[in-house]
Amino acid sequence: MERKDFLKRSFSSLLGIAAIAPMITACGSDTDVSPTTSTDTGTSTSTGSTNGSSSSNCSVTPSETEGPFPTKVPANFVRSDIRDDRTGLAFAINITIKNTNNSCAALAGALVDIWHCDKDGNYSEYGGTNMQSINYSSVDFLRGRQTTDANGLVTFTSIFPGWYSGRAPHIHVHIYNSAGKSLLVTQIAFPYDVTNTVYTTAQAYGYTKGAQDTKNEKDNVFSDSVATELATVSGSITTGYTLTHTIVVSA
Amino acid sequence: MKGLIRLSYRKIIDASARKPWDKLVFDETYQELFMQAQLYNQERRYQTFQELLDNVPNASQLHYLTSRVAMGYLKQLNQVIPDIANASGLLCLPFTQFKFEILASHLQHQEAHRIAISFYSDPLTWIDTLNANLVIAYGDQRAAWQAGTEISTDLIALQPYLTLSSFQPISPAPLP
Repeated sequence: MERKDFLKRSFSSLLGIAAIAPMITACGSDTDVSPTTSTDTGTSTSTGSTNGSSSSNCSVTPSETEGPFPTKVPANFVRSDIRDDRTGLAFAINITIKNTNNSCAALAGALVDIWHCDKDGNYSEYGGTNMQSINYSSVDFLRGRQTTDANGLVTFTSIFPGWYSGRAPHIHVHIYNSAGKSLLVTQIAFPYDVTNTVYTTAQAYGYTKGAQDTKNEKDNVFSDSVATELATVSGSITTGYTLTHTIVVSA
Repeated sequence: MKGLIRLSYRKIIDASARKPWDKLVFDETYQELFMQAQLYNQERRYQTFQELLDNVPNASQLHYLTSRVAMGYLKQLNQVIPDIANASGLLCLPFTQFKFEILASHLQHQEAHRIAISFYSDPLTWIDTLNANLVIAYGDQRAAWQAGTEISTDLIALQPYLTLSSFQPISPAPLP
C-alpha cells in the first residue's frame, strides 16, 4: 500500500476522534476546554486502534512500506564523550564562552564544536563521497558538539591529543549561536611544558612519536597571538589532564 | 542463473521531498551544511556549494562533515533500502553500504539544497529476468543452485535510479 494512503487513512480516523470531541465540548461550554484525559494520578492513557477487538472489527493491519516512522535524532557527534575507540591519556576539556557585547558575561545556549587529532596525530575523516558502511561505530572520533550552560560552560571527555608535523598541538573550536550562525572559529594552544612531558614520557599510553616538532612561537597559527589562545592545563601522566580555557566571542 | 549481484539505488532528496524521512534528512543536512560551510567561508564571500568547492581548499570535506547528521537517519532504516519495493509492495533490499553526496546547495536558499544517497544492496543472487523484473534470491545462493535445492525468490522491478552495481559469475571465468 502507498504510504500516502496509509497516512491519509490513519490521520483521518485520528482526526475524526480528536476533532469532533472538542467541538462537542466547545458547543456545551466556552470555558471548559480541559482535556478529558485525567492526569491527577500521574498516569494517562490514550486509546489507540480498536482493530482486532472483535470478529467484526478485524481488518488486516496495513503494511508499512516506509519502515519505522522517522524521528528526529541528534547526530552522533552531539555528545560530551568524544573518544569513541581512541585511546590515550585521560583528558577533560572545560571551555567557557563569554560575550564581549554583554560586558564579558557568560554566553548561554551557544553551540560549541571541537575537534582534535588522536595520540598519533590523525583526524577522523571517514567517507567523504566514498562508499561507507552503516555499521562503522567509530568513524567520527574526537569530534563533538555541546551547548553552553547558564555559566557559558561546555565540557568534553577526551584523550590528550598528539601532534603532527608542522603544527603545535591544538584543539579546533567553532562557536555558533543557537541558530547555527558562526560566531568564531579559533584554536586552543597548549603549554609546552605539559605537551613535552606527555610526548616524551607517556610512551606507555601510546604517545610514541617523541617531542613535537613545532612549538607555539613557531606555529603559523599561534605565533602572533598565543597569549589569548593558550589554555591552562593541569594534571599528570598518572591522573590524566584537565584543560580549562575561556573564549570570548562577539554575539 | 546469471550470478551474484549488488543493486544500487540512488535516492535524490531535494526541496520536493514529501515523505517524513526525506524531509528530516533534507532539513538536517541543510542546517549542518549551513553551519559547517561557515568554517570554509569566514569572509562570507561565497553563496553556493559549488563556489566553495571551486575556491576553497578542503571544502570538499563538507560532504563528510554534512553526511554525519544523516547517519542517525540512515540507521533508522534498519538496513533496508527505502522506496524500492518488491512485486508484493514490500521494501525488501538489505544494505550496509551507502554513499552520501551534496549535489548543490545555497547558503541563503534552502530550496536549492539537493543531496544524493546511493544505497548498495548486500549480495543478491540474480536468477533470471522476467519482463522488466529481476528474479532474485537473497544472499549468495550459487551453491544451492548448483546443488539443485529449492531457493526462495523475489521479484524486483527495474525502475529509474535502480541499477546493478556489481556482478560475479556463477563460477569463476575459465582461465584463458
